[in-house]
Amino acid sequence: MSGLLNVGARALLANQVALQTAGNNIANVNTPGYSRQAVQLQTTPGQFTGGGFIGKGVDVVTIVRLHSEFLTRQAALAGSVQASDTVRAEKLRQLEDVFLGGTSGLGASINDMMNAFSDVANAPTDLTARTVVLTRADETAARFRSYAARLDELQLSVRTQLDEAAASINSLATRIAAVNDQIAAVQGRGQPPNDLLDHRDQLVRELNTYVQTTSVPADDGSLGIFIGGSQPLVLGTTAAQVSVDSVTTPPGSGDLALFFNRLGAPPVQFSEGALGGGQVAGLLSFHNDDLSEAGNMLGRMALAISTTVNAQHRLGVDLDNQPGGDFFTPITLPSTVTPAGTIAMTVNDATRLSASDYEIRYTATGVDVVRLSDNRVSSFAALPADVDGLTFDLTAGAPVPGDRFVVRPFSQAAAALQTALSSPRDLAMANPIQAQLSLSNTGGLAVNSLQATPDNFALPPAGGLQLTFANGPAPYGVTYTITPAPTTPPTQDPALPAGTYEYKPGATIAIDGWQISLKGIPNPGDSITVAPADPAFTARNGGNANALLGLRDVAMFDGAAMTDGYAGLMSQVGTRMQGAEFAAEVSTTIAANLERDRSGVSGVNLDEEAAKLIQYQQAYQASAKMIQIAQSIFDTLIQGLT
Amino acid sequence: MANNFTRLGSANLYENALRNLNTRQGGLAGLQENLSSGKRVLRPSDDPTAAAQAERALTRITRIQTEQRALEVQRNTLALSESTLADANALLQNFRDLAVAAGNGANSPRERETLASQMVAIREQIFALANRKDTNGMPLFSGLGSTVSPFENSLDGVAPDPDYAFNGLPGQFSATETSVPFTMDGRATWMDVVETNGVFKVALAPQPVVPPATASQVYSDIGQVVNSAALTGSDYRIEFTETTAPGASVRTFTYDVLDTTNGTTVLTGRPYQAGQAIQFDGLSLTVKGQPNNGDALVITPNNPNPATRPSVFGVLDRAIAGMYNPGTTTGASSSSANFNHELAISLAQIDTSLEQLQRSRSAAGDLLNRADRISDNQELRSIQLEDDRSKAEDLDMIKGLSDFQNQQTGYEAALKSYAQIQKLSLFNFIG
Repeated sequence: MSGLLNVGARALLANQVALQTAGNNIANVNTPGYSRQAVQLQTTPGQFTGGGFIGKGVDVVTIVRLHSEFLTRQAALAGSVQASDTVRAEKLRQLEDVFLGGTSGLGASINDMMNAFSDVANAPTDLTARTVVLTRADETAARFRSYAARLDELQLSVRTQLDEAAASINSLATRIAAVNDQIAAVQGRGQPPNDLLDHRDQLVRELNTYVQTTSVPADDGSLGIFIGGSQPLVLGTTAAQVSVDSVTTPPGSGDLALFFNRLGAPPVQFSEGALGGGQVAGLLSFHNDDLSEAGNMLGRMALAISTTVNAQHRLGVDLDNQPGGDFFTPITLPSTVTPAGTIAMTVNDATRLSASDYEIRYTATGVDVVRLSDNRVSSFAALPADVDGLTFDLTAGAPVPGDRFVVRPFSQAAAALQTALSSPRDLAMANPIQAQLSLSNTGGLAVNSLQATPDNFALPPAGGLQLTFANGPAPYGVTYTITPAPTTPPTQDPALPAGTYEYKPGATIAIDGWQISLKGIPNPGDSITVAPADPAFTARNGGNANALLGLRDVAMFDGAAMTDGYAGLMSQVGTRMQGAEFAAEVSTTIAANLERDRSGVSGVNLDEEAAKLIQYQQAYQASAKMIQIAQSIFDTLIQGLT
Repeated sequence: MANNFTRLGSANLYENALRNLNTRQGGLAGLQENLSSGKRVLRPSDDPTAAAQAERALTRITRIQTEQRALEVQRNTLALSESTLADANALLQNFRDLAVAAGNGANSPRERETLASQMVAIREQIFALANRKDTNGMPLFSGLGSTVSPFENSLDGVAPDPDYAFNGLPGQFSATETSVPFTMDGRATWMDVVETNGVFKVALAPQPVVPPATASQVYSDIGQVVNSAALTGSDYRIEFTETTAPGASVRTFTYDVLDTTNGTTVLTGRPYQAGQAIQFDGLSLTVKGQPNNGDALVITPNNPNPATRPSVFGVLDRAIAGMYNPGTTTGASSSSANFNHELAISLAQIDTSLEQLQRSRSAAGDLLNRADRISDNQELRSIQLEDDRSKAEDLDMIKGLSDFQNQQTGYEAALKSYAQIQKLSLFNFIG
């Protein structure tokens, strides 16, 4: 009888605990990181009697926390990769917003500027047309600067976000260390501290959204957290610190990296590749690759356009018969200054520039110039050296083998673009040279184009260079000779006598840095004279404006024409965005699936808990009935005694 | 993916459902954006290749617009040149009519003076036409480059006076694939008239210092080449000798032709008859009028230097000067040898000038046709490029709308099913 009462009381208690646990599960259904709990019941060992073991009821052994170590870690890792991909895609979207196409984009602005020369070519004396050129150029320069400013803002915001992420990592590391401490303290009590474990798992998950970690459990119940594969961020109850700063080796790159700082040890530098996942990796990747590439492409455009337009403009003659000056303020390339030496750069061919940073490596045998976009190495015995249209030179210091410098030729170019001209009269739109057909010509010769080029231009002598045509030997139709002989003659056909060149209507004849193209068939003895421009005619000459118009088709951006440069830049950023978006979608799906799997083990299902409530409620009612029956049989016994 | 061995966490279930709904809503919003803007590619990342294509097409389209605008200016200028040459032609025709009227023997020397002053006015107008400028202030006939007014008229005291200069570069720019030149070769148009017949010229030998009783009336036309193979390039002199007995009523003459370069006699003692051609060494000239004994005609070959050829204005000046007696301001008599000789030369040269202007005019007309063809071509290209751009970035509306309908139906279904499922809970049935 007392046995029955005991059994009933134990059952009542056990079921009450089970009901409370189900209630706790229901209460925490939406708590992040909560793992559902279940009561583990066990039969109380029976009492041995002659009639065998008599059951003594039920006991609560423990409250189990249902979770899978493996799935939890997987979900945290997937979450880490997702955070990295998502934050990069978000930032790239902002970058892409800078480089939009269409009539309001930078590309249209450049085209408008170049096309404006067309009106001047038609009406060289029209000051309005000249002013329009200046306005358009100003507008283009301003747009370059505003694009550069927006990239700077993006960079600043990424930097801020990285600092915040580092602060969050430090705070989370400290909190994990604290929880480690608490867990170690209750470890000895024999029962698992379910809620603390959940809490710690949740902190680790949060930490993984900033930086990917690996964790190793210790015997005392604490969890060691490592970043970059090896560096202990949390070890037992101590937490290390991280910070974000500029890369120290090699100097000058402007890249950012995560630094791991532990007391008494030198900081360890982690690039985005070594971090694996997490927001920090995504932001570093955006900052060091995407943003830097976009900046380089924009800078290269500013540099190439300003250099080529300047070179052509300087050849021209302005309305006051003065030689042309700079159209844009020349952009000086930034030097890399380090204690080991100073590396300076100049542009020698603006059409061959490659949108990349370069690393100068001093080796035992000389100097390697490495294009960082594709790691192409060019080796030289010493500087100065020409690579990709740039001349690299050492202006100070004496580097020793092993010294490395990163130079960034295009980083500041777009922000520095300014127009140099203020008066429309200063626009040098006239040719420095003029052509004149001989009065005794009888053939149908006409001038197709005449222009000076920045390629070793030399003015013809005062009397002019005369091209005289003659019937060539078969199979050549018409040939010409040049008197007096120029310094840089056209390409000589070896089959023709020295100083005799083949004439092809419409083909460009390049002599001494200027080009003439003629149409029509001359008769033998016909001639044309190219001489320095007569100052009396230059005001009405738009030859240099036509030459500037011709720059539109000069291949200068990896083979793309000047006017198509922006389309390439835009689609490059778009391609990166597309890739990042795709990666973010994939990793989000993976993370969602793994999270579903994790919550399949650990998550609370309300219907399940409702069923359990009914289950344990019924068991509780039955247990209560047991006690009632015990009481009733006791009453029966007492009544029987009276 | 739920199956009968996976559990589902309630919170995760809601999260997943919500995320799916979000994705659907995002897709729907994106499609709506596409539909309302009419573009398939709103951002470069939607389709980087198409975005670059569209951007390049846009560049080409604006470029064609610029070229078309420039072409319009060039065409207007050319049209002005063409009409200027038409005006000049008409004026030159008027001038010729006046010259022909002056040659009419019914007109008195006084009337010739009046005609001459009218001719001067016309020459001034023609000269002004040659210096005409387009709306941008660019001279129409500047060749390969010139001063503001390429044609200059100066009185420098050296014969011929007034003389004319072209301050510019002779030559003609050619049309390109996208443009036509907006200036014509001023030198070729105005400054390069073939002198007389283009090979030789005939002049009247100077009269004796003491004028004879009856003025010499013999003159020649401009002559012509009848056999170019027989030409010698020598200077010649045709001398007339009177063979009439004194007192005869009809005077008769013979002529000799001397090659003055070689000092030889070509023809000798030929009877002269007015109006008949004199032929020798491949040349032929018709001599008219009655000579005096000892009169002579001098034949010299033209200067081969093209720079010495007369200008259109010079031709007119010579015609005007012929209206007067040489060195005076009194009108010439219709029987004056000088008057008739100069008139013959001038009429011939005016005709050559007319041809010259006509040639330039048809060159301008050719260029205008060329401009039309370029313009048509560019428009076609522009349409093609617009099509390219549209294909690259514009939305196929039918596909867009049908996608939108699909998405909308999907989203509705998702919302409805979610609303129904989330109502289901065991708690609803626990009494």
